Amino acid sequence: MIRTEEMLLNVGPQHPSTHGVFRIVLKIDGEIITDATPVIGYLHRGTEKLAEDLQYTQIIPYTDRMDYLSAMTNNYVICHAVETMMDMEIPDRAEYLRVLVMELGRVASHLVWFGTYLLDIGALSPFLYAFREREMIINLLNEISGARLTFNYMRVGGVKWDAPDGWIEKVREFVPHMRKELAGYHDLVSGNEIFLNRVHDVGTYSKEDALAYSLSGANLRCTGVDWDLRKQEPYSIYDRFNFNVPVTEKGDAWSRYQCRMAEIEESLKIVEQAVEQFPSEGAIMAKVPRIIKPPAGETYVRIESPRGEIGCYIASKGKKEPYRLKFRRPSFYNLQILSKLLKGENIANLITILGGIDIVLGEVDG
Amino acid sequence: MKGLMKGLKYTLKNLSKERVTYAYPDEPLEMPDRFRGIQKFYPEKCIVCNQCANVCPTDCIDLTGKKHPDPNKKGKIIDTYDINFEICILCDLCTEVCPTEAIVMTNNFELAEYSRDELFKNLEWLDENDTNVRKENKA
Repeated sequence: MIRTEEMLLNVGPQHPSTHGVFRIVLKIDGEIITDATPVIGYLHRGTEKLAEDLQYTQIIPYTDRMDYLSAMTNNYVICHAVETMMDMEIPDRAEYLRVLVMELGRVASHLVWFGTYLLDIGALSPFLYAFREREMIINLLNEISGARLTFNYMRVGGVKWDAPDGWIEKVREFVPHMRKELAGYHDLVSGNEIFLNRVHDVGTYSKEDALAYSLSGANLRCTGVDWDLRKQEPYSIYDRFNFNVPVTEKGDAWSRYQCRMAEIEESLKIVEQAVEQFPSEGAIMAKVPRIIKPPAGETYVRIESPRGEIGCYIASKGKKEPYRLKFRRPSFYNLQILSKLLKGENIANLITILGGIDIVLGEVDG
Repeated sequence: MKGLMKGLKYTLKNLSKERVTYAYPDEPLEMPDRFRGIQKFYPEKCIVCNQCANVCPTDCIDLTGKKHPDPNKKGKIIDTYDINFEICILCDLCTEVCPTEAIVMTNNFELAEYSRDELFKNLEWLDENDTNVRKENKA
């Protein structure tokens, strides 16, 4: 007689495909997952609590370390929140610089996702190609901000540095190059039968589930919900650009892939237009008092990060430190649907589903 | 099969392309001027205003001043200046607030040491770290 019993399998916390320190405890019956419990918190640093003792400018380097793949959007969300509280007018040139670096960051972030996702499900070469192009973006951002990932580039009221000589031209030249390589990625991956078999109808969820779980970003748009804060609630100067929001209908790993790849193209469109409209001169900083003290009260702002809706809530008592700071970190929210998706799936699909959600552990754990 | 062949074609096309990797560490890796590396400290420029220590988000700077040896001159001069590179995040805020540019960034980024104690850098060490000093300091 063959006796079968349920087995407890621990994945992580140092599993390479978790991109950080993420642990998941699986109950498996043969190869079928019956229950999955994610264990998070290994990278928790208490950013929100630390921020209560820090001045607003000092918080900015901490935000770099939340979503370290697109630190520019994190920089922006905290600056944007303080600026909203203080009712500040930002100079045009600073806004254009911000949009340029944020969109370049979005492309870089999606490239990491594309490369590592394919790597996780067994294809090595797309990773190498994606990182080749990402390195070009990182070099551009290094040149303007002085760091490769932890930029600390934005300040309340503007940006720290103006674009160095020739930087705008380099960005202009990068866009057609990236477009060409993106077409190459589609040749390499999007038609590959093995890849298609791995992602079609895997990790499917409905529009209602996505909304109920408060998913955002490509995880929401892959179910046919047209929701992108750059379009729905334009912040910064996004209303000046002409771009589309890619929406796919099926809600499986394949439609998430399509969504993100199309977003790279749309971001390139924004970069292209921002370079065209870039003001030739102007200030990069608004008039900001030396000690930043937002008036007492509270505010919540939200923007579209590559992973979804990142929000920042500040409660201020009129002091130079916030009374309470809270980040709505999209990876954390998006991760919550994981256990539901994994139930009843084959264990081989675990990595496909986890990778498709596109989490960054620095952001999940805060 | 068609998709696989298409992918293979892209790979083959890339075979003849130029190499994109660096020969680091056999050859030094050049960083752009703005790159934020280990700080260089000029003791003679420092006016002991404490702003760098106050603005540091991780509290990694410790400094003390002493009275000016010339009794006719007011103010303080620097006595000790330590940065703990175990927790320094090279965020550039100290150089941003320094009114006399006594502390500036360099492009040197190699910080690996065999013991934790060696990551405490004192005034002399930071003074001697004078290669690749950043040219453009105030935006």
